Amino acid sequence: MKRKEDFVLQNIGGENLLVPIGAQVMDLNGLVILNDTAVYIWDLLVKKWESDEMAGAVAEQFEVDLETAQRDVRAFLNEIAEMGLLED
Amino acid sequence: MCYVCQVANDVDQQARELSASDWLELANYAVDNGMVFLLLTGGEPLLRPDFFEIFTPLTRLGLLLTLFTNGTLITEPIAAKLAEAPPSRTEITIYGATAETYESVTGVPGSFKNCCEGIEALVKHQIHLGLKSTITRQNIHELEAMRKMAHAWGLPFTAAWMLTERRDGLQSEIGDCRLSASECVELEATDRASATELTETALREATVGDDSNLYCQAGKVAFTINAWGEMYPCIDLRMPAVKPLETGFQAAWQVVQDFVDNAPPLDPVCFDCEARPYCPRCPAWSKLENGTLTKPVPYLCEIAFARKEIYEKDL
Repeated sequence: MKRKEDFVLQNIGGENLLVPIGAQVMDLNGLVILNDTAVYIWDLLVKKWESDEMAGAVAEQFEVDLETAQRDVRAFLNEIAEMGLLED
Repeated sequence: MCYVCQVANDVDQQARELSASDWLELANYAVDNGMVFLLLTGGEPLLRPDFFEIFTPLTRLGLLLTLFTNGTLITEPIAAKLAEAPPSRTEITIYGATAETYESVTGVPGSFKNCCEGIEALVKHQIHLGLKSTITRQNIHELEAMRKMAHAWGLPFTAAWMLTERRDGLQSEIGDCRLSASECVELEATDRASATELTETALREATVGDDSNLYCQAGKVAFTINAWGEMYPCIDLRMPAVKPLETGFQAAWQVVQDFVDNAPPLDPVCFDCEARPYCPRCPAWSKLENGTLTKPVPYLCEIAFARKEIYEKDL
């Protein structure tokens, strides 16, 4: 999976805001606030990743065990997939 | 031009309007300085023949865009174009549920039909849309019909009825069209869905426990820029009218913030008023109604005391 390109990530007053652009506004009417870990994953999603492969990158970047990273990455990816932020 | 509209339909003034490239320059400065929400309003934004030269690039900046329009210029091709990169929210003001009433307000034959066709085109293209109305003595009898009309399209509907004097200071027919204080309070007591938006904000903000005069978010997190590029704290308070394209965006925004920070405090008459928690007066209302930033607005005094009587009746 990888991210759709119809979003602009803005940092406003220390908050990371993901704002839909173009026709994507039809599907996601609002914005998504990302924490720093989510921004790291969002940046990775510019190219295609498998969930477990990404968990390894997150575990290394944030110095957490792989199991924790897998759980958190899956939860986040499921959440943003439901919002329509991902494509295959 | 609708008699309730406060924007003069003046050719000379239209010629002074910023160019599309000026607007985009301003928007980019604002985004660089943290703007996320942008409302495009007028007058009527779609009167500009170069509307999409401004709008389309704005849709790529990562903004949550809102568009206020009367809908009369929205044709099928324009709705289709909007749907390619739609605003997060579009609101159309309707002035009646029949051509007769609608056009008695707008003064433009055929405008009711054009508005309805515009709404239908946007609904067809699934643009996020809401309808609203400015209620006057001339159309209040069609308030419920307008609500039903909106709901028949599957659209939300809100109404507002507290009209101010014109922003440009010109003579208006406000006395002939705005509701009396008692009519306003009676309406908000029965029209719950619309009253919520109007009164809850006013009540919450008016209960600030100090004498600050500019108590809302104007000039703190929000600004307005008019058609000629002048920046204000809010659309109804046309001061200090600084030009960001001349001074730089940050300098202009600082002037607006300083204006708000240094605004005169609440008039003692208002500060001590027992109906203050029910009063929506602000410096913009005072400026429009009596030319000051602080003096009481008799129309709002009447509304505040009428609300107090109703809301405290059972206490």
